[in-house]
Amino acid sequence: MTRTQIIATRLALLALVLAAWELLPRLGVVNPLLLPPLSQVLGVLGDLIGRASVQEAVAVTALEVIVAFLIAVPLGAAAGIVIAENEYLSDIFKPMLFYVFSIPKSIFLPMFILLFGIGFQQKVAYAAFTTGFVVLMSATAAVESVRADHVLVARSYGATPMQILWRVYVPSMLPFLLETLRISMIFNFTGVMIAEMYASRTGIGHLIANWGENFQMPQLFAGVIVLSAVAIIFNEAVRALEVRCSTWRT
Amino acid sequence: MQHLANLTELRGGAAEPAIAVDGLSHVYAGADGGVAALVDIRLAVGKGRFVVIVGPSGCGKTSLLMMLAGLRQASQGSILCLGRPMPLPDPQRVGVIFQEASLFPWLTALDNIEFPLSLRGVPRAERRQRATAMLSLVGLEGFGERYPHELSGGMKQRVSIARGLIQDPPLLLMDEPFAALDEQTRMTMGHELLRIWSTTNKTVVFVTHSLTEAVYLADEVLVMSARPGRIVDHIEVTLPRPRRYDMMATSLFGQLRDRIWQQIRKLPDGA
Amino acid sequence: MMSWPAAAVVRWLILALWLALWELLPMTGLLPELFLPALSKTLGVLYLDRQIYFAALLITLYEVACSMLIACGLGILVGALIGGIALLRELLLPVFSSLYAVPIVILYPIFTAWFGIGSSSKIAFAGIYGFFPVMLSTAAGIRTIEPQFLLAARSMGANLPQLVTRVIIPASLPTVFAGLRLGGALTIIGVVVSEMLTASAGIGYLVTLNRTILDSPRVFAGILAILVLAIAYYMMARALERRMVVWQAAGRQQRLAPRLGSAAMPAPTAA
Repeated sequence: MTRTQIIATRLALLALVLAAWELLPRLGVVNPLLLPPLSQVLGVLGDLIGRASVQEAVAVTALEVIVAFLIAVPLGAAAGIVIAENEYLSDIFKPMLFYVFSIPKSIFLPMFILLFGIGFQQKVAYAAFTTGFVVLMSATAAVESVRADHVLVARSYGATPMQILWRVYVPSMLPFLLETLRISMIFNFTGVMIAEMYASRTGIGHLIANWGENFQMPQLFAGVIVLSAVAIIFNEAVRALEVRCSTWRT
Repeated sequence: MQHLANLTELRGGAAEPAIAVDGLSHVYAGADGGVAALVDIRLAVGKGRFVVIVGPSGCGKTSLLMMLAGLRQASQGSILCLGRPMPLPDPQRVGVIFQEASLFPWLTALDNIEFPLSLRGVPRAERRQRATAMLSLVGLEGFGERYPHELSGGMKQRVSIARGLIQDPPLLLMDEPFAALDEQTRMTMGHELLRIWSTTNKTVVFVTHSLTEAVYLADEVLVMSARPGRIVDHIEVTLPRPRRYDMMATSLFGQLRDRIWQQIRKLPDGA
Repeated sequence: MMSWPAAAVVRWLILALWLALWELLPMTGLLPELFLPALSKTLGVLYLDRQIYFAALLITLYEVACSMLIACGLGILVGALIGGIALLRELLLPVFSSLYAVPIVILYPIFTAWFGIGSSSKIAFAGIYGFFPVMLSTAAGIRTIEPQFLLAARSMGANLPQLVTRVIIPASLPTVFAGLRLGGALTIIGVVVSEMLTASAGIGYLVTLNRTILDSPRVFAGILAILVLAIAYYMMARALERRMVVWQAAGRQQRLAPRLGSAAMPAPTAA
């Protein structure tokens, strides 16, 4: 299939899904109270975006996402780099990481609530906590991806550690780093959402949980659509950037 | 521009050739009319002969082998193995050995060797007995229960050869089987292969891009040009059998190698 | 020069240190009991209410099992199809890996509205939560099956059913087991999250319930139960994987870390 054929087919599939979303509730095949027709959802969406309360919630969530990210990335990256660079620490901690990943970190939410109460700090701390581990693991992989023979060549030409860092490690790791940021953001967003849905008085996640509890389905779906769109757009933007920076990667 | 003559008639004598190829051409379909891979190949391989096809990378020698094996069909021309065409693989007539040993990593050496028999439903005891015999033939007695990841490159190829031989096909096709091995192992394996061949009397078509290997192993060498592949030379290797390593130092060996190299070096349009 | 203790020993020491701190910090008043009750107290409460916790654990396990059926069953099947069939792969794989960016948890209220707060909504949610990563992982893994295996099997005369049962299925076992391990871990996470959010039963529900009444020891009893469950599952899955595919472990010693979260392996639980 050619490129245009592929895109056309995908668009056709999308149109099919959207059409089903519109028609099935309208025709009564699916209960319109449970699945409101697409047009209704979009209408409500338009209305919600204008409301101050919604805009505030968006702002709160955005702030939490950013702050948690800014905390998690440097800490996680530093820890990851340290572990990757030191063989002894590597041997100790890397096997543990797999265990850590199997544990549902949401189970620790109550701890954060007990510590910080319900509010901004608790959500940010929790999100940073979950994201930090992802960053750590990605950073470790990124450092390990730098080929030892490249470093060897640089050293044999007398490069100083600083030069090796900037002229071998950083270019090697750049695509990986972008990917790390992208994946971490996905987890970060998820973490913030879980915290907001679990125990919060503000934020989009809280709104969504609320709408769900009160069976306000059109609003709920509107919220889901918007959040999904934001997540996907961000993801694709970073991915495009990754591709630009990593043409040399096999 | 004079095209090099497309030589036919290898020495098969009056008896029917084991392999007869006539007017074989192959074009790979492509957006712009296709790529000619092989052009008008004609050859005949006599029974019990060891024929080597040598040529530069991409000349189509592997494609030719795939067609002899029934794994691919040519766009034009005919192939007869033991007098019958090859529309499909026929492991009892033609055994195939690939460059990558392609042993199934989840089976032991013996299980790999008997795999073709198990496909045909041969009973277990008989399979095991024949596989063990093959294992000895290739010199790997005692290694039957090892897994491929526990075997060296040379050992894996031996198992692969044993697997190709287990149904005792009269024809054996080998596609650069030693290419992935280091030079020393290659020489040993080549020697081993000749030993096995001399005890089993099969007809072998062996593809390689190593000139040394070609001269050392072959009764006759077919030289293919770069794409589109044609047969541009046919050389008889008159070195006595059994071959010995010191023959590589003789001037005859060098002349034969050189002749092959001269042919390969020429550009397709006779530059 | 003092020699450092072995890595494994250090890990056990770290674990011991954690447990010791868990006991001592609250006991000595360095950390408020509300925030971190002493380990002994937590264990005591767990024992006291063991029937309650056991019943809740059963419910949680039931939900995990059902959602594993969806996540792994569907995930592996769809992943195999999408990964194996070129047309589907080109068409759908990028779409699915883009969808992976969406935090699935925001769909949970939809499920509670549709299915109520009982087990069905948890199963639906955790099933989908696990489905995407398992599907993506399987799709990537299917492509690592070497095409040479199929060529070799064909040359030995295998027909289509034999190709599927004797080559494709054994060759995909490592991928399938990795998918099972991943799926189980993710469904446990999904079930726990959903039980904590809106539920009427299960360990997650107990944790939330006790948190709202500020009964810290019982909160941590629940946390402990989940930790044990998750770790036990991981260890079991690894052990099973190792035994089943012993030939894989040796062969793949030095795999590069797969690109995280691209169309290949998603980040949690890199294989």
